Amino acid sequence: MKLACFVEAYNFKDKSERKALSKFKSTAESMGHTFDFIFKEDISRVAEYNALFIRATTDPSNSAYVASRLAEQSGLKVIDDPHSIRTCSNKAILHDLFLKNNIPSPKSLLFTGDFSSVSLDNIFETLGTPVVIKTPYTRFSSHVEKADGIQEFISISKKLLRKSKVLVVQEYVMSDFDWRVGILRNEIIYLCKYCIPDGGWKVKSKINGKNVWGDTIAVPRESISPELKEICINLSKCVGDGLYGLDVKETSGGYRVIEINDNPSIYEGYEDAIDRDIYEKIINALVS
Amino acid sequence: MIIVSEDEDDSDSSPLFFLGQPVRDSVLNVNHDYRYLRMGYYVSAHAETFGVEVTPDCTEIMDAYRNPLLIEKARRNGLPTNGYRLVTRPNENLTIPAMLFAVNPFTNNSMKVVKSGSRLPGIIKKMSFDARFPVSLHPVTGEVKEIIQMFGESTSDETSDFARKFYEIFNIPICKLIVQIDDGKVILNHCEPAMEKEVKWDIVHDKLHEIRQKI
Repeated sequence: MKLACFVEAYNFKDKSERKALSKFKSTAESMGHTFDFIFKEDISRVAEYNALFIRATTDPSNSAYVASRLAEQSGLKVIDDPHSIRTCSNKAILHDLFLKNNIPSPKSLLFTGDFSSVSLDNIFETLGTPVVIKTPYTRFSSHVEKADGIQEFISISKKLLRKSKVLVVQEYVMSDFDWRVGILRNEIIYLCKYCIPDGGWKVKSKINGKNVWGDTIAVPRESISPELKEICINLSKCVGDGLYGLDVKETSGGYRVIEINDNPSIYEGYEDAIDRDIYEKIINALVS
Repeated sequence: MIIVSEDEDDSDSSPLFFLGQPVRDSVLNVNHDYRYLRMGYYVSAHAETFGVEVTPDCTEIMDAYRNPLLIEKARRNGLPTNGYRLVTRPNENLTIPAMLFAVNPFTNNSMKVVKSGSRLPGIIKKMSFDARFPVSLHPVTGEVKEIIQMFGESTSDETSDFARKFYEIFNIPICKLIVQIDDGKVILNHCEPAMEKEVKWDIVHDKLHEIRQKI
């Protein structure tokens, strides 16, 4: 089969990501398929292929969405499909999804700019202190901030509301790491710990003015706890049967899902460090 | 069916109130702007997440507002187009006069009509943010017109049949369409949000009245 992989130039900058892309290609070819990298100029040619795998950052506003939807319209198998992109790329939509499906997650509210004392008091009474404020389009911990009180909340949210009509305000859940659960076709394909760097509070934290990433520790997927597995599979089924990366915090009160991402990072030596068959599983999903 | 609109006279719920509630009934989302991350989009997304039928749904919104998806869907459904070409850099095979639309997350009202070949490289460079995003390029063969489509009605008589067909295919209650009239034939080039002042709200009121009577 003819497989296309939609990428942008930045996907080749990091050595580990470049190696992972190369592994996808060599795996597909070893299985008897062709695997071409295509770029935004090639989007209108997508119907020439049998399946599309997207590695460029997905968002409904990006070229990747256009590629995904054109491929879907042409009857191609697509990872990430347009529905998954639209759902997972928007934290306000995830807020609704979690609520509707009773997904265990930190308490959260949508905020559209009501700065009355009743509204602000309600936020802190419901969520406690501090609170986490996110724009709907947050990626890689960007546009996610923490407010320790009402004044800080007002200042941060006013700034973020300039770029978004809706913000998600969430209870802060402290942890040393987030579980990253990789799921494909509603099966676990890898498991990692995304660690919070020392002195930070999220996986990519600004420490002494510099962005610092925490370590990634791969863990055998078979070792996942039954409870975490059930929560993750239930949630992935609510979105679809694509490739997802779920971020989950482990607390004394149980697991709390932070988000489900389409287009999860796959870097050579990181997510694939233990379960090395993820390339084959993804190619199989594209050709089946 | 719940009608969600900013207009208190016509609606059962304002968008802001609607977003805070669970949804159990089908939804008609009336807005002049359905862009991603805007309130019009969130209303449809909220309804969809709760599993109810909504007009327009998010796929329909994105299909209409992203130029290559618009043209592809129009083509598949027999609505006349001139085709499109995605470019990030100028090249010698591009013909003028051409109509250009940005395919990026930032720009609205982005149409540029270019009649001079010497201006094309600079405009592509600017609209593509220096080759970061594609630009959709259409040939110009007729008279370029902007019309407002409201539930299949058009602000111009010569495009009334076209507006009806557009609404049947795309299911967008209110939008601005950029078309060309070429020898009496209407050709679709682009769809974008209408400005509030451009919409003939009396037509919208009448249409909503008709819809309510059918419920």
